[in-house]
Amino acid sequence: MLRIRMHGRGGQGIKTAGQILGSAAFLAGFQAQDFPLYGAERRGAPVTSFTRVSPEPVLERGPIGIPDLLLIADATLLESVRPVPLNGADESTTIFINSSLAPETLQQYYQLPSLPVGLNLIPLCRHYLKKANLYSSALASVGARLMGSIDMGFLLEAVEIELEQQGLAEKQIEHNKELAQKVFESLTSVNLQERERTVIKAGSLALLEPRLAADSAPIILAAGNMALRKTGNWRVDRPEIDYKRCNQCLICYARCPEGAISVQESGSPEIDYEHCKGCMICAEECPGNVIQTVSETEDGS
Amino acid sequence: MSAITSNYKKIKDLNPHESLSAGTSLCAGCGGLEGLRLALKELGDDVIICNAAGCMTLLSVYPFTPLRGSWLYTTMGGPVPAAQGVRDALDIRIQQGDMPESENLQVMVLAGDGSSNDMGMGPTSSAIHRKLDFIYFCYDNEAYGNTGFQLSAASPFGGATQTAPSTGLHPAGAELPKKDLFEIWRAQNPTYIATVSPREPIDLANKFAKAKLMKGPRLFICLSPCPTGWGFDPKETHLIAKLARDTGIFPLKEFFEGKVMHNKVPRKRVPVERYLERQKRFQHLFIPVRQEETLAQIQSRVDAYWSQYE
Ligand SMILES: Cc1ncc(C[n+]2csc(CCOP(=O)(O)OP(=O)(O)O)c2C)c(N)n1
Ligand code: SF4
Repeated sequence: MLRIRMHGRGGQGIKTAGQILGSAAFLAGFQAQDFPLYGAERRGAPVTSFTRVSPEPVLERGPIGIPDLLLIADATLLESVRPVPLNGADESTTIFINSSLAPETLQQYYQLPSLPVGLNLIPLCRHYLKKANLYSSALASVGARLMGSIDMGFLLEAVEIELEQQGLAEKQIEHNKELAQKVFESLTSVNLQERERTVIKAGSLALLEPRLAADSAPIILAAGNMALRKTGNWRVDRPEIDYKRCNQCLICYARCPEGAISVQESGSPEIDYEHCKGCMICAEECPGNVIQTVSETEDGS
Repeated sequence: MSAITSNYKKIKDLNPHESLSAGTSLCAGCGGLEGLRLALKELGDDVIICNAAGCMTLLSVYPFTPLRGSWLYTTMGGPVPAAQGVRDALDIRIQQGDMPESENLQVMVLAGDGSSNDMGMGPTSSAIHRKLDFIYFCYDNEAYGNTGFQLSAASPFGGATQTAPSTGLHPAGAELPKKDLFEIWRAQNPTYIATVSPREPIDLANKFAKAKLMKGPRLFICLSPCPTGWGFDPKETHLIAKLARDTGIFPLKEFFEGKVMHNKVPRKRVPVERYLERQKRFQHLFIPVRQEETLAQIQSRVDAYWSQYE
C-alpha cells in the first residue's frame, strides 16, 4: 500500500486534490481511500488530505502518520521550528514541494530528510486557471506522476469526474485537464515503492488527574496577544499604496477586516504586512485606484 | 427617532482604537469580522463577549486572543444563558461593593445566524422576556459557516448550501424563505434592534453609539458576506454588501420605542440578479438554464417587503 499525504491551506483545493488522486488510482484498477483533515473549514488555515492506494482492499483507517509520498503545496507551512508537514518523514520519503527553488536549496533551507522534487505550480495554475493558488488538479497530477503506476488518461478522467461533481463549468474542467496534463509531462516518475514501516515505540496511556478549573481551563490573561501570530504569509498578492496619489480618504482603513491598515500621524494609511492576509479589499475599494496589486509569488508575474 | 442620537459623519470620526487585534485565523475578506471590528471600535475594550460556537470562535484560540476585552466561549445554544450569568455576577458584585461601578462591563453575545435562529433561540426569547441587559450581535453569513456551510434557518431561498444543494428534485437549493429574526425579536418588544452592514461603517458606528447607552435587550443583525461559503473573491466582500443594500435584499433599519425606521434606503432598487449572479451559491439559478420562476420569486419577495413601506 502507498500512503500519500498532501499539505496546503484552506481554499487551495487540497481536499479535492486528494479526491482526484484517489479516483485516478481507482480508475487505474487500485483500491483507494481518500479524506481530508482540517481544524475548521477556512481559507488560509492548514489543511491536510490523505490518499491510500493499494492493489488489496484498504483496511487501514485514520490519518497517515508515516507517508511514502508527501506533497506540500504551500511551502510557508514549513516555516516553523517544528513544521507539521514533515511529521513521520525520513530519508526514504519522497517529498514534493511547490517551489521554483533547486532541490538542494530546498533541502538545505527547510532541513528536509531527503532531496525533494520541486516544481513551481503557481505560474502553471495562473496560466491555465487564471488563479495562482488553486492546486487541486495540479497537485493530484504531481501525485499520480511521481507514483508512476497511474496512466495520465486515468488522471484526466478523474479530474473530470471530481470537478464535474463540484459543479464546475465544462470550460473550467477543460482548463484543469490541460493543467494536469502539463504538470504530468513536466515531471518524471520516481516509481514509488512502499517504505519499510518503522515500528513506533508507544508510551503508556496518559493518566489524567482531575484538576480545578482554575488550573486546567484554558484561561488567557494577555490582551490582544493574537497579533503575535503573523498572517502575512497567507498572501498571494500584496496591496501597495501609491502615496503620491493617495488623498487620505481612509476608505481602505475603514474597510480592512483585519484592522491591518492604520492611520499614521500624517493622516496617511499604512499597511501592516506582517498581518495583511492579501484579501485585496483595499485595492478593490480605493476610490482613486491608488492601491496596486503586486504578486508575492516567486515568478513575480 | 428619540433623544438618543449620535452623529458620526465621516470615516475620520470613527474611534481610531482597534479593540480587535490582527492575527486571527478567520478567512481573508470575512465580512463578519469586519462588522465585529467596527462594532468593537465603538464599544471599546470594556466588553465581555459571550460567544456561541461558530466561525468567530476562531478569534480566540488558546493561548492567543485578539481581544482587549473579555471572552467566554459556549456552545451554540449557550451564549445567552452565559450572558445572563455574567450580567448577574457583575450586578451582584457591584451591589455588594466588591467591584466599583466604574469597572462595569457591557455584556455582548456574539453568535452566528445558525445559533441565533436555530438552537439558541429558545433561551434568547426567555432572556428578552426577562429584559436581560445585554447586546446581541448576530453575524449573519446565512449558514453554518464554521462546519462547512450547511443550511440554517437564515439561509436564503434559492441559495445552495452543503446540505441543500441544487438537485433534480430540489433545483432551487434552499426552498424555505429566510427566517425573519428582526420581526421575531420585535414581537417581544426589546429595547433596540438594528441591522448593520460592514459596508456602512458610519451607520454601524452611530447605531452602536446609541445602543451602548441603552439598557435591556439590544439586537444587531450584521450582514456578513462570506467569501468562502457564498463563493466570491475575498476582495468583493464590500461590493457584495453594497449590492445587498442596493437591491433591497438587506434593508438597513432600526426598531426603537415601538417604531421601525429604515436607513440608507436605496432610491431605486437594483434588480436582485445583480447580487445573486456574483455568488457561487446562486450559480445554479443561471446555469445551465435560468430558473426564471425562482429568480422572479426572489425579486417579488423583495418588492413585497418594500411595498409595506413605500
Ligand atoms: C450545541 C452545539 N451543536 C453543535 C455544535 C457544533 N458546531 C460548532 S460551530 C457550528 C456552526 C455554527 O453555525 P452558525 O451559528 O451559523 O455560525 P457560523 O459557523 O456561521 O459562524 C456547529 C454546528 C456546537 N458547537 N454546539
Ligand atoms: S467561513 Fe465565512 S463567516 Fe466564517 S470566517 Fe470564513 S468568511 Fe467569515
